[in-house]
Amino acid sequence: MSLFGASIRRKEDPRLLQGNGQYLSDIKLHGMVHAVFVRSPHAHALIRGIDTSTAMADPRVVCVLTADDLPAGLPPLPCIDAEETTKPFNQPILAAEKVRFVGEPVALVIVEGDRYIAEDIAGLVDVDYEPLPAVSTAEAALAPGAPLVHFESNVVDVLEYSVGDAPSALAAAPHTLTERFVTQRYAGTPLETRGVIVQWDEPRRGLTMWSSTQVPHSLKATLVGYLGLPENAVRVIAPDVGGAFGVKLQPYPEEIVLGLAAEQVGRPIKWVEDRYEHFLASTHGREQYHDVEVGYDDDGKILAIHDHAVTNTGAYLQRLTLVEPFIGVSMLSGPYVIEHQQLVSTVVMTNTTPLNPFRGVGHVQAAFTMERIIDLVAEAVGIDPGEVRMRNMFSNDVFPLHRGIGNVLAGEIIYDSGDYQECLRRAMAAAEWDDFRSEQDSARAEGRYLGIGIGFFVEETSLGPYESGRVRVEPSGQVIVFTGACSSGQGHDTVLAQITADELGVDFDDIVVVHGDTDLVASGVGTYASRSAPIGGTAVRHAAGSIKEQAIQIAAEMLEASPQDLELVEGEVRVKGSPASSVSLAQVAGRVAPGQPLPEGVDNYTLDATDIYHPPTNTFSYGCHVATVEVDVDTGVVNLLRHVVVNDSGSLINPLLVDGQVQGGVALGIGGALLEEIAYSDDGQPQNANFMDYLVPAIGNMPEMVVEHMIVPTPLNPDGMKGAGEGGAVGAPAAIANAVADALIPLGAKITETPLGPETVYRAVQDAR
Amino acid sequence: MSDHAVTIRVNGVERSDSVPARLTLADFLRERLDLTATHLACEHGVCGACTVMVDGETARACLLLTVQADGSEVTTLEGLTEGDELGPIEQAFWAKHGMQCGFCTPGFVLTIAEMLDENPNPTREEIIEGLGGNLCRCTGYVKIVEAVEEAVSLRGGGA
Repeated sequence: MSLFGASIRRKEDPRLLQGNGQYLSDIKLHGMVHAVFVRSPHAHALIRGIDTSTAMADPRVVCVLTADDLPAGLPPLPCIDAEETTKPFNQPILAAEKVRFVGEPVALVIVEGDRYIAEDIAGLVDVDYEPLPAVSTAEAALAPGAPLVHFESNVVDVLEYSVGDAPSALAAAPHTLTERFVTQRYAGTPLETRGVIVQWDEPRRGLTMWSSTQVPHSLKATLVGYLGLPENAVRVIAPDVGGAFGVKLQPYPEEIVLGLAAEQVGRPIKWVEDRYEHFLASTHGREQYHDVEVGYDDDGKILAIHDHAVTNTGAYLQRLTLVEPFIGVSMLSGPYVIEHQQLVSTVVMTNTTPLNPFRGVGHVQAAFTMERIIDLVAEAVGIDPGEVRMRNMFSNDVFPLHRGIGNVLAGEIIYDSGDYQECLRRAMAAAEWDDFRSEQDSARAEGRYLGIGIGFFVEETSLGPYESGRVRVEPSGQVIVFTGACSSGQGHDTVLAQITADELGVDFDDIVVVHGDTDLVASGVGTYASRSAPIGGTAVRHAAGSIKEQAIQIAAEMLEASPQDLELVEGEVRVKGSPASSVSLAQVAGRVAPGQPLPEGVDNYTLDATDIYHPPTNTFSYGCHVATVEVDVDTGVVNLLRHVVVNDSGSLINPLLVDGQVQGGVALGIGGALLEEIAYSDDGQPQNANFMDYLVPAIGNMPEMVVEHMIVPTPLNPDGMKGAGEGGAVGAPAAIANAVADALIPLGAKITETPLGPETVYRAVQDAR
Repeated sequence: MSDHAVTIRVNGVERSDSVPARLTLADFLRERLDLTATHLACEHGVCGACTVMVDGETARACLLLTVQADGSEVTTLEGLTEGDELGPIEQAFWAKHGMQCGFCTPGFVLTIAEMLDENPNPTREEIIEGLGGNLCRCTGYVKIVEAVEEAVSLRGGGA
């Protein structure tokens, strides 16, 4: 049986279930000292001085570092997707003259003892701040005379894209709709916060850094740059990572400062973020509003759209700051044919924690905006929302579809494959659309408000530029797979072993997968943007394919046969047609072990192959969510009834794991739809930086969930995989918001924002009355 | 700050130590005893990742001081089964893909162990009620519920 496509149990789990996981904070090294960051309590302030003398007087202090102690001219945190027009509002590694958000790191305190003592002593660092007026919302930052977060303007960039002639088409359209759609600020909040251990390695004249990160190789490259060390002097290890969701996809200032401190301290240094710090200092996402004008006709056909999106990107550029504003508009039209589009995306800085991509970046806001537009048009023309979608959707014969819009870091937006209309039909059928309408009518007659809503999305997945895969067969017959992808819970060990087992016919249990160590894996990119299966998996598939060719070459001598007469089946090289004449992969690996002459025509010892796979461009997964809800109009509480997802992420390596990805994504989307919002006061003070006040979905918030898969393989990689990590989070807020709006149609309540908490829904109902 | 002598029976082994009053039970288990399956995710009693058993009842190890646990019997994930053997709840999590990153899992397993000891054959509503105090950010809980149902059947149902 082929293991590709099999729902098998994960390799990772027994170890974790025995309590033998090794997350960052579980690591203890001999002589370890503990670090705490002193962070700004002000949203915006000048630093008039920092007095570290009281702290330094404590004998337990190993060192205190401020910006003055860092090398002169240290570059600020890089942003790799900045355009020429992007203002250079980058984050200093430690704040020097000014702080610009609550939580910004100002000093590093390292002590002998434990974290309790480190926190005590950090409290003795006296920073003299002169508070300045602050802004926390994009509207406030754009207002005339607003306090400037940096200089000149709070607008860091304006991105513009257009296809067709939207102004003329809007002017000529029979009907237009004008609205603002608002998506709030929320965040990935993995259960494990960030954390770092760094150890100076004197014989190597370099360091080893353990970090809870998605991107050990980019962290290594960043440290090499900041420390001025040769590449061989820096080793980065990502141990077990307790969730990430994009929050751990960039090198952070804390990692750089700790790297800079390593040699001076000369002992292992440990820093583990606490939950409060995490809310302040790990990146947020989403906060974006869309002002749209939409032209449509009596048949519900969308003729043109003008969208001006505004993103509150926080106080500084981060590694991939422009992705949220870019995707928010460029993926707006999703599966729909809209000939005329004028898209403007304004990126605004405020005195809040910076944004960087997390699970579903930009797509969430695009889908929420577009899907609400479709339902409003459907309501206006009196046609069922499913039918309006069908009338506007691309057919399945348009691929590859050039959208006419450039793509940040990925060339051009070209939809690769799919069948959107079939996906919509299947999702509506699974949600029992027509039956629900009858149920809704009966409920309304009883004064109960049921609603059903669709959230369709198309999502940019499997982002390049490359991933590495290496496969080595040992003389024991055991196979080691090395990948540059880096798991934070997705199940890389399992699915990459499935691909390897599929290619080589070896036993799943004889495969070991290694990731997250830059000494063991020479090159790599990491895990984000739904890329590890399609790109990392393809690299492993190719490397295993090379092993197959090598094995046949080596076995030719052993079996005294010509390579073209041989095949690799069930972990053995056999003579075609006479399977008894065979050698095992273990024997083949033994034949090229060093210490003996190589077989004729074979050039290398060891059975080992590496592939660096650069995908031609990225893929586009899609899916359709249908939510049903009941709204209590007296309290504003939304009760989720059922959530259906039909998802096409191409071929599935392990459907059980993909189901888990989709379900977990939906939960995050439910949080965004109903519960989660990182709140700031007007002057930039965080209001709910803990799990008591910031509500992530608990088990009782979850509806019955139905996940089905459509499989339209992409032609862009040999296995047809498109990436499955994010779609669950993308479609859910749109579907739930549409369901709430649908429930409230008889009352005329306007639903244009998330999260749809009780107060927001209650007010919408009251405003309509 | 003076230290306080404590004696706590952890996973069946008596452990005596001298600890500062402010040392949480979670940090005692993790830092002093190297029992790192007890995870800290919120450190204010909301998420359930640090759930352990104290005298047979689940408790949040981040909200208890070590001195409060003096004289008690504490069980962590490491002590739930013999050696590296997987018990029925762990087997069920493996079979049903009830975990992704695994960080919240120990807290769930201990909560479920207590729940099934008290109610060996819970309804779906009772499972949801029983797990309301544990947060998972990866799974959406669907497969955790399935894992509990599987664990019930592995344990022999209501028997």
